[in-house]
Amino acid sequence: MLTFQIAFRNILRQKRRSLLTGLSMTGGYVLFVFGFSLLEGSYGNIIDIFTLDSTGHIQIHQDDYRDRPKIYKTIQNQEQIKVALTDNPEIKSFTPRVFSPALAYAGDKTAPSRIIGIDPVLEPTVSRLVQKVAKGTYFSTSPNPDGYYEAMIGRGLHIRLKLDVGDELVLISSGADGSIANDIFVVSAIIGNKTSFDRMAVYLPLVAAQEFLSLGDDVHEYALLVNDKDANETIARGLSAQLSELTVAPWQEVEATFYRTMQADKQGNYFSMGLITFIVFIGVLNTVLMSVLERTREFGVLRAIGSRPMQLVRLISLETFILAFISVMVGFLLILPFVYWFAEVGMLMPEPIDMGGIEFQHLKGEMSARVFWIPMAFILGTAVLISIPPGFRAARILPKEAMGSH
Amino acid sequence: MTNLIETRDLCRTFGSEETKVTALDHVSINIEQGEFTAIIGPSGSGKTTLLHLIGGLDEPNSGSVTLSGSNIADMSGNQLSDFRRDHIGFIFQAYNLIPVLSAEENIEYIMLLQGISAAERKKRVKEMLELVELDGLGDRRPSHLSGGQQQRVAVARAMASKPDIILADEPTANLDSKTGISLLDVMRDLNQKRKMTFVFSTHDEKIMDRATRLIYLRDGKVERDERK
Repeated sequence: MLTFQIAFRNILRQKRRSLLTGLSMTGGYVLFVFGFSLLEGSYGNIIDIFTLDSTGHIQIHQDDYRDRPKIYKTIQNQEQIKVALTDNPEIKSFTPRVFSPALAYAGDKTAPSRIIGIDPVLEPTVSRLVQKVAKGTYFSTSPNPDGYYEAMIGRGLHIRLKLDVGDELVLISSGADGSIANDIFVVSAIIGNKTSFDRMAVYLPLVAAQEFLSLGDDVHEYALLVNDKDANETIARGLSAQLSELTVAPWQEVEATFYRTMQADKQGNYFSMGLITFIVFIGVLNTVLMSVLERTREFGVLRAIGSRPMQLVRLISLETFILAFISVMVGFLLILPFVYWFAEVGMLMPEPIDMGGIEFQHLKGEMSARVFWIPMAFILGTAVLISIPPGFRAARILPKEAMGSH
Repeated sequence: MTNLIETRDLCRTFGSEETKVTALDHVSINIEQGEFTAIIGPSGSGKTTLLHLIGGLDEPNSGSVTLSGSNIADMSGNQLSDFRRDHIGFIFQAYNLIPVLSAEENIEYIMLLQGISAAERKKRVKEMLELVELDGLGDRRPSHLSGGQQQRVAVARAMASKPDIILADEPTANLDSKTGISLLDVMRDLNQKRKMTFVFSTHDEKIMDRATRLIYLRDGKVERDERK
């Protein structure tokens, strides 16, 4: 306690210098938190965009369907999966999907397309497909009174086949049993825009797609959302052990290239933030060194009356730590409302950003504990680290010389 | 009486070959438990150097210092720190109190280093402040105490760890005559009542009058050694 009092009072001893040093650390912390929040928030938004647009947080397939998709590589024992997913409290929602390439006809025009069979009820719990409806209405599970199932088409098909809501669309493909599949569907909605990943897709109700492709009740994919998206890799590993005959992959594996690029970019940004903090701490190092030099006599006395060298190192580290802690706390109080606003409202961008048919008008940050505690730990750790060389300088002081006589 | 301090052929020089100054030249003395010893001599005679060597604040070029049977040359840095903490009390000419601590805390600090319990520390601080007649001023920082009061705190600090010996380097040099006498009376009283050993470096006649032994140094050598 007395050591703490000495450390604390030494901070108050040179108020102006402590204030300036503290302000530089507060500034470093505020910059670090803001940069970190912005970086994590931006990537969080991008991850949300494509995980909610298509991949989900976790995907389940049969064998190597993800890398080498074949119509017959289906998930058959769905009851076991449904029980496993329903019973898992970490899983927020899940939906089955089927896929197949197809040739789309409308009048005398044709275009290659991709059938995506989805459960009209479950799909909105996993993806933002409903929000991507640009024209028309989101389809229903049942066929219309004429006996035709509804289809939603991507913007690319809409342009290429000159198809509009209410028009008939003919699809030709091959069924899982080798038969030729062809049928007529009525367009209920146009999805996304020209840049959407599904601009050439045809969304069909799951039962319609299964019937069209002769898949019975089988599906090709389960897409899942989890409650804690940062824990998706751990949850995927747990599911993988539980559903050992299937392939369970987190989005980081599904979108491995993007993930690696993002990680590399993040590392670069972390390095820049670390560099800024380091520059701040060069000033702090200078201050601590000056303080040690000014107090040479005092350290000599402490050594003379029996303080061990390491006790002086600890005293100086404690002083720097206390100053850094106070600075960080002040910084935390200053930046907290700003980060909250930035995460909740965000900064209005001059031009909205279009991501696969969903427009974003605000640049948002992340509001989470780690946005505050990681910079906090970094600043406090660096403070202790930079106090060690001045501490050793104090520890090497010879009492006789420090007291200015021989 | 047992020898508390033994120095054998202590030599200490300062500076390089060309500017070499011999501060101590083969000094051998024994100081017994309970003595009130004054080391006397003109400026530059080696008084302070001898105190620093006895206290382990400096290292001799040759010779040895034995305190309570331990040769301090054989001790590592930490052992020497611990030895100073547990066996030696220092009183400096310039008081050298820790400016950010109150009088009480300055006295308490050395006991904290010794690992003494908080309750015992508080008890001893109170006792020490009474001994040096500073009760009621314990919460004052050094900057709010007079020179004499600061030196009393320094005496209390030196005593608080219950050392075997107190080394005082010209303790009255910065004090007026009345304050110096008062402080010396406190130390003499402690010496007589508690059999505490004091070694002073001084040219203050007041100390010489009260000392039980006078060691005269000149040019780094013991010129005379008198017991009263």
